[in-house]
Amino acid sequence: MRLIDIARVVRSKNAGPLHLTFDLMFADRANYDRCVQSPELNAARIAPLYGVPADSVRIQPYPVALAVKITLPRLAPAGSPGDRDVYGAQQHVPLLELEL
Amino acid sequence: MSAVARLRERFAADPSRKLKLVGATGQLGYGIPAASLGEALRRQPDMLGADMGSTDIGPTFLGNGQMATSAEQTKKDLAALLKGARSLDIPLVIGSAGSAGAGPHLDATLAMVREIAREEGLKFRLAVIRSDMPRDVVKAAVRAGDMRSLGLLAELTEVEVDAASALVGQAGTEAFVRALEQDPDVIIAGRACDTGIYACIPQMLGFPLGPVMHMAKIIECASLCCDPGGRDPILAVLDRDGFVLESMNPDRRATPMSVAAHSLYEQADPNEIIEPEGIANVFAAQYEAVDERRTRVSGAVWHPASQMTVKLEGATRVGERAVLLAGSADPRFIAGAKELTEQVKGVVQNLVCGPGEAPDYTLNFRLYGLDAVYNWPEPPANPPREIFVMAEVIADTTERAMTVAKSTKQYLLHHGFPGRLSTSGNLAFPFTPPELVAGTAYRFSAYHVMAVDDPAPLFPVNVEDV
Repeated sequence: MRLIDIARVVRSKNAGPLHLTFDLMFADRANYDRCVQSPELNAARIAPLYGVPADSVRIQPYPVALAVKITLPRLAPAGSPGDRDVYGAQQHVPLLELEL
Repeated sequence: MSAVARLRERFAADPSRKLKLVGATGQLGYGIPAASLGEALRRQPDMLGADMGSTDIGPTFLGNGQMATSAEQTKKDLAALLKGARSLDIPLVIGSAGSAGAGPHLDATLAMVREIAREEGLKFRLAVIRSDMPRDVVKAAVRAGDMRSLGLLAELTEVEVDAASALVGQAGTEAFVRALEQDPDVIIAGRACDTGIYACIPQMLGFPLGPVMHMAKIIECASLCCDPGGRDPILAVLDRDGFVLESMNPDRRATPMSVAAHSLYEQADPNEIIEPEGIANVFAAQYEAVDERRTRVSGAVWHPASQMTVKLEGATRVGERAVLLAGSADPRFIAGAKELTEQVKGVVQNLVCGPGEAPDYTLNFRLYGLDAVYNWPEPPANPPREIFVMAEVIADTTERAMTVAKSTKQYLLHHGFPGRLSTSGNLAFPFTPPELVAGTAYRFSAYHVMAVDDPAPLFPVNVEDV
């Protein structure tokens, strides 16, 4: 199953102007567990999608909200020349196809 | 007696009293729903708070001193909150005035506040917190090694500090508490931590800081923590162990799940709320439904920092920006658009620069439909039917940027390529001129953390009777 098939929310947003943060949220425990336990959910898989080193990607399960948080550095500070998405709200899309 | 003095007196008489706080808006100036603000006022809260700013809007507003919101709506929102707070004689606390919280933003906000007071016949004691960072203090911190990069931006240098168009610090709860000591009715702060708006009065009254910071972080976004999330005012009822959240819009429910999930929002770490004065750890927090629309939150733990810090935000001018807006529906132009726009960059350089001269501007294309929003490594499997072409030029002057944009328009319109069918033009312009002046471009030049022993001198408080 792809993330887009099992997630309730997949969103991206700035966490300050230097980082992007992604929230993957699930409607039930089964889909949350499927995501958290998937070998696809790892820094080495996600880092190249955003052109950043794997050791800069932080993945954090947040079971109380059946959610997973991913945080990584932006390629350009928000709104500085070269940026594509000042609020960072449309950077979640490549994650939708992750096979979990 | 001022609103703050009155509140202090009430709590002295009854220390077990609960504190009712209203987060009126997470971004003042876009409109506050009147029905839910009216409901918030009917609940007889002890304070009203509003946040006006963020770095979300990018470096431009910090750099150019303008508000991101319209003057008309900003004044309307300010008037609604001032009238509401004065009608109940409760404190109104506003942070990050005028979108970015530097001197010009704060002064423009204060001018509106004074104007509203005159027009509405309101009288109050106003405390103002300024957040512009003295350059000599920041440079001394750079020299002393008291400055920490948060990644991506290089270490801050004295040259960069001097070059910044604006340089502010985020005032912490400490600054708001100092303002409260002046017994005001209204506090308006320049750039500030959004938590300070809501944590200062509880801190003054001695509420434990763990739940206080957790509450402050949630209600600064108004009803965003609800299901469905939204921009309506939210009420928090704080006791000594926790707080109960309720949206002032009956259609929004604060559920244990929706409130817990809000800890994720815009935060790098959902378990920690990092403040200048310490860290609130919400890992062990409990979320319990009071009823269908209310959730009680408790259990956050406050860890004071061993070293106080101030987060700096600086914006530096890059140049003047012009943009070109156009579209195309031609399948052959779309198929070659990446390459063709690169070719036109070279064509334009030869036209606007002398032989062998490097460009004195930057010209970048964004091809919407192909890879403008996200930098896809591969072209789309099925080419889009249409694309939108945005060219961005940054040069030292507006005239120069427009020169480049106009030549780009003409030469992209008529750029020839093998197999071209539409020899009268590659582009559709939605209107003319398709080249627009987009103002001064800025970049974030500082987003660093400065260690300070005493933040008070950096965030001076002044009081005036309005």
